Amino acid sequence: MQPQTLSQPTLLSHLRALYALIRKDWKQYWRYPLNAVSSVFQPLIWIAPVYFMGQAFSVNGKAIGFSQYSGTTDFMSFILLGTVLESFINAVFWGMGYALKNDMDSGVMESNWLTPIPRLLILVGHSVTNLIVTAITSVGMLLIGGLIFGFNTSGDVWKAFLPIIPMMLGLYGFGFAFAAVVMLMREANTLVDVSSFLVQIFSGSNFPVNALPRFLLPVALALPLTYGLDAVRAHLIGTKTILPLQWEMILLVVFMFVMLWIGTAAFKSLERRVRTLGTLGQH
Amino acid sequence: MTDFAIEARQLVKMFPARPGTGDKKANGESATTPRRRRWPFARKEPKAMFTAVNGVDLQIERGEIFGLLGPNGAGKSTTIRMLCTLLEPTSGTAHVNGFDIVRQANGVRRSLGTLLAGERSIYWKLTGRENLEYFAALYHIPQAVAKQRVDELIERMELKDRANELVEKYSTGMRQRIAIAKALLARPPILLLDEPTLGLDPQAARNLRELIAQLKQEGHTILLTTHYMEEADQLSDRIGIIDTGKVIALDTPEGLKRRIDQREIIRLELTGWHDEIADKLKSIAGIENITTHQQGEADLWEVNMQAQNSRAALPRIVEHISGNGTRLVNMNIVKPSLEDVFIHLTGKALRD
Amino acid sequence: MESKIGVESLAVPGFSADVQALWAVVRREWTIFIRYPSWIIALFIWPVIFPMGYILTARALSGIDGSGLTTFENTTGLTEYVGYIAVGTMIWMWQNIVLWAVGYSLRNEQMRGTLESNWLSPTWRFAYLLGSSIPQLASMFMLMLVSGLEYAFLFKVDFSGSLWLTLLVILAAIPSVYGLGFAFASVVITLKEANAFVFLVRGIVMVFCGITYPLAILPKWMQSVSQWLPQTYIIHAVRTAALSTEGFSGIAFDLKMLVIFGIIWLAFGYLLFNMMERRARQTGAIGQY
Repeated sequence: MQPQTLSQPTLLSHLRALYALIRKDWKQYWRYPLNAVSSVFQPLIWIAPVYFMGQAFSVNGKAIGFSQYSGTTDFMSFILLGTVLESFINAVFWGMGYALKNDMDSGVMESNWLTPIPRLLILVGHSVTNLIVTAITSVGMLLIGGLIFGFNTSGDVWKAFLPIIPMMLGLYGFGFAFAAVVMLMREANTLVDVSSFLVQIFSGSNFPVNALPRFLLPVALALPLTYGLDAVRAHLIGTKTILPLQWEMILLVVFMFVMLWIGTAAFKSLERRVRTLGTLGQH
Repeated sequence: MTDFAIEARQLVKMFPARPGTGDKKANGESATTPRRRRWPFARKEPKAMFTAVNGVDLQIERGEIFGLLGPNGAGKSTTIRMLCTLLEPTSGTAHVNGFDIVRQANGVRRSLGTLLAGERSIYWKLTGRENLEYFAALYHIPQAVAKQRVDELIERMELKDRANELVEKYSTGMRQRIAIAKALLARPPILLLDEPTLGLDPQAARNLRELIAQLKQEGHTILLTTHYMEEADQLSDRIGIIDTGKVIALDTPEGLKRRIDQREIIRLELTGWHDEIADKLKSIAGIENITTHQQGEADLWEVNMQAQNSRAALPRIVEHISGNGTRLVNMNIVKPSLEDVFIHLTGKALRD
Repeated sequence: MESKIGVESLAVPGFSADVQALWAVVRREWTIFIRYPSWIIALFIWPVIFPMGYILTARALSGIDGSGLTTFENTTGLTEYVGYIAVGTMIWMWQNIVLWAVGYSLRNEQMRGTLESNWLSPTWRFAYLLGSSIPQLASMFMLMLVSGLEYAFLFKVDFSGSLWLTLLVILAAIPSVYGLGFAFASVVITLKEANAFVFLVRGIVMVFCGITYPLAILPKWMQSVSQWLPQTYIIHAVRTAALSTEGFSGIAFDLKMLVIFGIIWLAFGYLLFNMMERRARQTGAIGQY
């Protein structure tokens, strides 16, 4: 007499669950259209003073000082690529950082955790949407920025995806770990603000890292994103690289595996903690 | 071994106490002895723990509606959260639909439809339909079946013409209905409803109670928590009363009421009360615990007394209060309610 | 106000009462401010790391042998680009903080639910805005002082100008900067979601006011827009006062413009506040979330 359950878990149903997670985040993102517009235009506003500063330091329109460090006089293409990475760093620190905390604060975390899917899948869903949406707004920004400031690529655009893939996977693996950390903090805004900003600066988004004063260089060299951006720029606009390209690729792949492992472990640890202590900071 | 829908054995849940509260048992008494002076090499003092659930046993039969009642802080919501796998017990075991809540958590989640925190449990920036389609996928419901099921539930919850609007535009009642539909999506054998009628207007609450009764007819087992006595009384086959982390009473509603010593309450409303009348009433056999209470500023008094046999006592009561300027305005014989049982057992009101 | 029945009110209205209320608001804001531990970061860390991005970029642009510096030197008369950029970004930060802090001060109260209780007290209401600005101004002074020290000692910026002239410019700048903040506060109460506005205003300042570059670099049309923004004059004047030896004559024009702008923006801010207040009394908006 008991009702028959409709739940039939299979591999396919898990994939469908992931797809549902992505679709849900996607729909929610585009229902705040101003955010999307802001993501395209805000970076361009931040580029403007850099552009004019570049003009102030160019001789006869050419960034000759700059080329001594970077290997190219195309300052704006350099900057635009760096700005794309900055968008992703922002998206991971703020978007992924608060992914779980927002779920918890709005009340939907419990309903999601009550469903029979692996809870890590929820975080994967958030990451995929975040990645796709940021990619879209970055391309938009790149197109418009190219029109305003000028963007030129030489070299093989497709080869640039070689470093992009492990770099992005590593970055989002970090995002998992960061989401877990933010959950544990009562007030995470300052941490997210400062660390996001510092990572953007030291990964070489706005200048070639070899222009850094000696004592700051190790910070930049310790960030895997530095090598990723460096490799992408080398492929797209022909800049000098910090290390030979193959070395940078290997570093990126190692980074990817390490970060994915750390991120997953951090999340699992958080999940255990929530199961033992209840929803953190239950209001 | 009988096949219970939900079976819990000695569930215990302890939380690290917040600093300054120290070890406390769930009833508020301190569990630590006064601090002694610490020796330099003494072992580190164990962390102070707060016991929210202190050995709960439950056996809920398939197809029954089981009401869980308890005042705030009794351990009700902690018990619920353990049963639905959001929280792990410190010790003890429980099985939901035959699945162990710790080791077979996914099995439990597939078997349960839950309604926790009503309108906050759904996405406000999605439509009602989108919410249901989303959760259907998370419950592994095959796509073709899911679509049909979502339509069916939207129809049943009478949300057909608003299903494609964002939930943020719904009223509280409508959001609650989406949340209930969500609980019913996978047609789970067991439903866990936490304060389902909280915040609903009387008509909506009544509709929901009818729905709960229907769901029982359809074969669902329902574990219900509520603050509303009449609701628990009306709906439940059996009721468990939980207080200070333990189940202190478990019986049918009638059985629980019978516990309160078969007393009836006689309630009189009269004018012209004199204190000597109280003494006279006390002399009647079986009459006890006379309380009087003046209503407002007018000369109107409410007099309550407990009687073992109200029929026999009535004529004597009327005799004593007639004459001398005393006039009887109203008289009621009141059966003890579940609220009275509750107060009798716990010493507290349900809503404090 | 006298009442015929019973109770005698303890309230004594008057100017000194308003000042007392103002001081109470100031104390409240300061107390709340220091209860958030992140203020240390706001005070010591941000002023240093925020311009760092631009400064390091400028360093790269200068080149290994400094050849990139020639144009900069020719346009500004300085080789000291670190101080140049630091000043520009500091002024931007100031306006940004004021927009958020002062601009949202009333809105935050409204969301917390305390705006209504404040509004019900018999005080000159503009005092609330003024009151929340004063501790903010005090912390800004401290911020600028600490940053100045950090730039001088950590970044080895050569402040060859005059401290007093710099102070004078800051004082002259206050009415414009805060007038804009007041105007904002009123708009935010009515609109409830004004984030986009903040981004717009600070975006305009970022693009047109020369925070990291000399105005001469801008195309002509953009230079005309810059003339209309008080922040342009603030930045130019502080740079001249702090980094160059031009003295008062270098900043006289800027000061004149700032006085004019200051009057305009303060008046505008006050006007908007009164309009908002009247409208709120009609619609009951003060108590709404």
